[in-house]
Order: sequence, then structure tokens, then C-alpha cells
Amino acid sequence: MRPILLSGHERALTQVKYNSDGDIIFSVSKDHVIGAWYSHNGERLGTYHGHQGALWTVDVDPTSTLLASGGADNTMRLWEVKTGKLLKTWDFLTSIKRVEFSSDGRQLLGVTEKRSGQLGTIVVYEINPDPEAEQTDEQTIRIVCEEAKPTVAGFSYQAQYIIAGHEDGTVSQWDAKSGEFLYSTQVHEADMLITDLQWAPDRTYFITASKDKTAKILATDSLEVLKTFTTDTPLNSAAITPNKDYVILGGGQAAMDVTTTNARQGKFEARFYHKIFMEEIGRVRGHFGPLNYVAVHPLGTGYCSGGEDGYVRVHHFDKPYFDFLYEVEREQRQQQASL
Amino acid sequence: QDLAKKNTANKQVVESRRRLLAEWLAWRESMIEMLKEEGAIIELNGGRIVREGEDEDDAAEEIE
Repeated sequence: MRPILLSGHERALTQVKYNSDGDIIFSVSKDHVIGAWYSHNGERLGTYHGHQGALWTVDVDPTSTLLASGGADNTMRLWEVKTGKLLKTWDFLTSIKRVEFSSDGRQLLGVTEKRSGQLGTIVVYEINPDPEAEQTDEQTIRIVCEEAKPTVAGFSYQAQYIIAGHEDGTVSQWDAKSGEFLYSTQVHEADMLITDLQWAPDRTYFITASKDKTAKILATDSLEVLKTFTTDTPLNSAAITPNKDYVILGGGQAAMDVTTTNARQGKFEARFYHKIFMEEIGRVRGHFGPLNYVAVHPLGTGYCSGGEDGYVRVHHFDKPYFDFLYEVEREQRQQQASL
Repeated sequence: QDLAKKNTANKQVVESRRRLLAEWLAWRESMIEMLKEEGAIIELNGGRIVREGEDEDDAAEEIE
């Protein structure tokens, strides 16, 4: 599994995303620039310039037409993927920590930072999928989080719910049509930031990563914790792999938090766990700093990680990855086949 | 005796995995049923929009 190194960013990566076909990777970094890369060979496809501060987040719509980004310049922006044209800028009073499209691409959500008298919010805009069209300034939903600031959020299956992870380790659920609050639950350790929330392909469940060194899979409807993955390092990201029942976790102690800063002690590895049995099955080394984000190819053929070290590492899985099965899985498949 | 103990332990591990797998698969099936009732076409296609001229079954096969 020889990785491809994408070295074009000058500062730490904050998020990396595949488009729905998996042929393009979008990356955002503290260097203010959005990068687009061919996932199969790492060739740079282009860059999107315009943001005036560190970027925290990026997402691409399901048809790879529109790209959304957000960052420390207090703007959320919409771009045309093909031309790199800036289509829309939404201004806020604080930075944008997370953007995400609904599964049909018709809605875009943004998480705004809590700062200087401003509470953290989750805002939603209707998106016109036509790049020539005028985009709206009107928010269809604005959720103000008074208790704990949201750090990550997204739309469930069919944009029925908005689910958010918070700085205090709780996960909350709102009705995504009315904005009505439905439910909140303590999932991770209290006062341990939830750093990531990524969906299963059908968005009926999702995985959260936390500074409490665990990742958890929750059911979208009930917010019941279905699985817990326990590691030995603070986590920044967690992803669910399609086809194979694995999850990939990334994190590591930041250099300033550890006495010696070599890669071994920092635990800068992508960790693979079995999604159902919750056991660790392997690690992939390579980064020289914490992994800030891990993303999985939508067809399950590989993954990429964005590091504090300024690199994106793209991995294509080889045969042993696909062949690996626990004995009980093999047994179950045989039973299924003989039915 | 140690070997007997070990075998019991292994058996328990396998039993527990078998149970976890059965529970997971049953829950997944109920979720897929729910999505079918909701007519969640994109979600049932693994989160990918079914494009015009692209048969739904073909897209599903590609994912497999």
C-alpha cells in the first residue's frame, strides 16, 4: 500500500474530502488555499483562491459541480468545481468550522464558531445546483447553541435530521425541516471536544471522534451508541469504510503536548478497527504530526489523510485488505450463500 | 487443563463475535427496510445520486 504524497500545501491540513466518484480529492489548509487533486496519481488539478484566513472545512456536492468552504476569515464560500469561479460568499461574525451538503446537494449547512459574545450556531441555506444561478442569502434554519458550542454537524439520511457534535462531548439532534430541537445525549467524556462526525454511506449511522481517545458509532434515529473504539491517543477524525466493515481513526498528540516529538511517541498513525467487533486490526504510519482528518474513497478502494505536517497521504488498498475476514464473517457468508 | 481453559476462552470470543455480527446484520436490515419505506433513493444507492441514463442497478453493482 504505497502512498501518494500530495505536497502543495504550506501549512497544516484541516480537512480532506473525496468527491462522490472518488476521482478527485479536495483539501483545505491553514495556508488559505483549497486544493483539488486527482486521487489515482496525486496530480494537482487546481487551486481555489480567495479566502483571507486559515481554512477549516470543505465539502463537495454529490454531482461534483459545487464546492463549499469555510474558515477563519468568517466566510462560507461556494465555488464552481470545474472553473474555480467563486459563486457566493456568505459573511458571518465568527469563523466557519464545518460545512456540509445534504445527500441530494440541495442544502448546505455551516457551523459557526463561538467567540466574543457570539454563540455557536448551525445555519442552513437552500442551494441552487445550477452554477449560473443566484444563490440565496436567506437562512432556512438557524440553530443557536446556548449550552455547548457545536464543533461538527451534518444532515442525516434524506435531510430528516441535523446532527451535531459539541465541545462538551454531547451529540444533539434537530428536525432539519423545522429546526426544532429533538434530543441530546452525552456520548463522549464531559468537556472532551468532539472533533469529527462522518456518516455511513446511507447516513443511518455515523461515527464521532473525540479528544477522549475514543470514536463511537451512533444510530442516527435513536442516537444510541452502537460501537465504541478505544485508542491511546486523542482523536481528530474517524471514517467509515464502504464494502468492508472497518473504521479508520486518526489523531495524535500535538508536538507541543508531548515532551519528545518523534513520530513514534506522537502516535501519528491511521488506525484500522473492525467496525462490528471493535478490535484493532492494523495501523498505517507516515505522517510526522497528528492526523487532522481521514477520508475514505466512496467506493471503498482507498483512503487519504491530511496531517498537521502539511501533507496529504493517499492510499490505495491492496488485496489483503479486501480479502481479510474474521472466521465468523466467513462462516456467515457461507451460510448466506447456501441459503 | 490450561489448554482446556484456552479453548473455552476462544469459544467465548467466537460466540461473542457471532452474536455481534448477527445483531449488526439484523439492525442493518431494519435500516435498509426503513430507507425503502421512505423512498430514500440516494441513500439506498450508497449516498450516490443516480444520474440520468445510469441504471440504478448498474450503480449498485459498481459499489459491490
